[in-house]
Amino acid sequence: MLGKLIKYDLKSSGKLFLLLHGIFLIFCVLMRFIYMNRLDLIEPVDEKMLVVSLLLFFTLFTVFVSALMFYTQMQIAFRYYRNLFSREGYLSWTLPVSGIQHLWAKIISGCIFMAADTLIVAAGILILATGKNIRDAYSLIADETTRELGMTLGDFGLMLLILCLASCICSVVMVYFCINIGQLFPGHRVLCAVAAYFITSTVIQIGSLIILFISGYFPGYEFFAAEGATAADFMIRIYAISGGISVVVTVAMYIATHYMMKKKINLI
Amino acid sequence: MRPILECQKLTKKYGNFFALSNVDLSLERGKIVGLLGPNGSGKTTLIKLANGLLTPSDGHIMINGLEPGPATKKIVSYLPDRSFFNGHMKVNHLLAYYADFYRNFSTERALKMLDALEIDKSKRLNALSKGAQEKVQLVLVMSRDADLYILDEPIGGVDPAARDYILRTILSNYSENATVLISTHLITDIEQVLDHVIFLQNGQISLNASVDEIRTEYGKSVDTLFREVFKC
Repeated sequence: MLGKLIKYDLKSSGKLFLLLHGIFLIFCVLMRFIYMNRLDLIEPVDEKMLVVSLLLFFTLFTVFVSALMFYTQMQIAFRYYRNLFSREGYLSWTLPVSGIQHLWAKIISGCIFMAADTLIVAAGILILATGKNIRDAYSLIADETTRELGMTLGDFGLMLLILCLASCICSVVMVYFCINIGQLFPGHRVLCAVAAYFITSTVIQIGSLIILFISGYFPGYEFFAAEGATAADFMIRIYAISGGISVVVTVAMYIATHYMMKKKINLI
Repeated sequence: MRPILECQKLTKKYGNFFALSNVDLSLERGKIVGLLGPNGSGKTTLIKLANGLLTPSDGHIMINGLEPGPATKKIVSYLPDRSFFNGHMKVNHLLAYYADFYRNFSTERALKMLDALEIDKSKRLNALSKGAQEKVQLVLVMSRDADLYILDEPIGGVDPAARDYILRTILSNYSENATVLISTHLITDIEQVLDHVIFLQNGQISLNASVDEIRTEYGKSVDTLFREVFKC
């Protein structure tokens, strides 16, 4: 039954997801040939123009990526809400499956969408940044970058990608947790879910900052005062602590959501 | 044989309001039961509790001796009082969906009924008229070989001709061991098919009797008795 639930979840939102992400990839391919491949980063004709055009392009790119990520998160949230707590819930909750199977189906399908979104964005960045002119320009600063990062840029990018993929689980569980919190307030379900999201995010961020501060990694002066410390060392430790916090928070939110799906379902 | 539906001291509260209060009820198999009462009497609340869409504040509700869960949902076929399908789904996709999740769903029976109603299976649900959408829902619900059919206002929003079709569909599609629980205001239309009647008033059962008992003891039709009991 779990597999069937996941299949219908993926089918319900898959078309629009693929369309939008397909447009993004086409945009990246076009920009690679129309814009990126024509850049002369080593000996630019007009350095000022180059900087301005790069700024404009990366602003546009960032907006596109943010919109795509926002869409993916909204799509996951809407699917969960509509399928389980709107009128469609009258069908979903009367299928011969448990609330926990519903929850796991939504977690798995949500993570698949989020991971696909992350991988497609990463693929877009690779398409844009792997032209010969970019690689040649980067080779001039590659040694310095590797020394500063403590690893090659490729390894660093791969590490970031893995961290982003791992954080998908936390994001998905948090969205579901907040929607379930909203369901506890039948008069203002959506409003309370949004409020729960902002409150949870703020509490997690403040908690993380306090833990980083206590461990001496925020603001980071103490760490860099040590000899031979690289940016990568610092980042790895920050990510390790943040990752640990995320695991604890995700498990706590999952337990709370699990309880609500089992004991607090009220479709009014 | 154990009752198909049992309630023991079943209570559902919304804040300080008791939608259902200490309801004790037992439904036998093989009966068509009318769950009747004015608006706000607790009919839909009882139905939702039986389907696991609400959790009781107190007491128990059992289907075939089990609390509502995946096992009971296999044997209960439920028609809510509202449109509950994703309107973007095509009718034939809905058939596949039901066949995927319910082992007791008969695609053949559903296709037969949809063909008789001349409903285009390739159309999306929201491209059909409201009446046709309600018929599709009923066809899917009645195409399951369930032990308990729970129909919440199945004839509420359709014209009299469609009501006759719906009642015929209900009568011709349930097996003799199955129970049909129908909640409705339109008593005259369904009185002819009912075996048993439950009157709900302010979240409590005010009458639980067979239609024959009502006719012999009260000398009245169910509709007349309903109008007297719930006179405003």
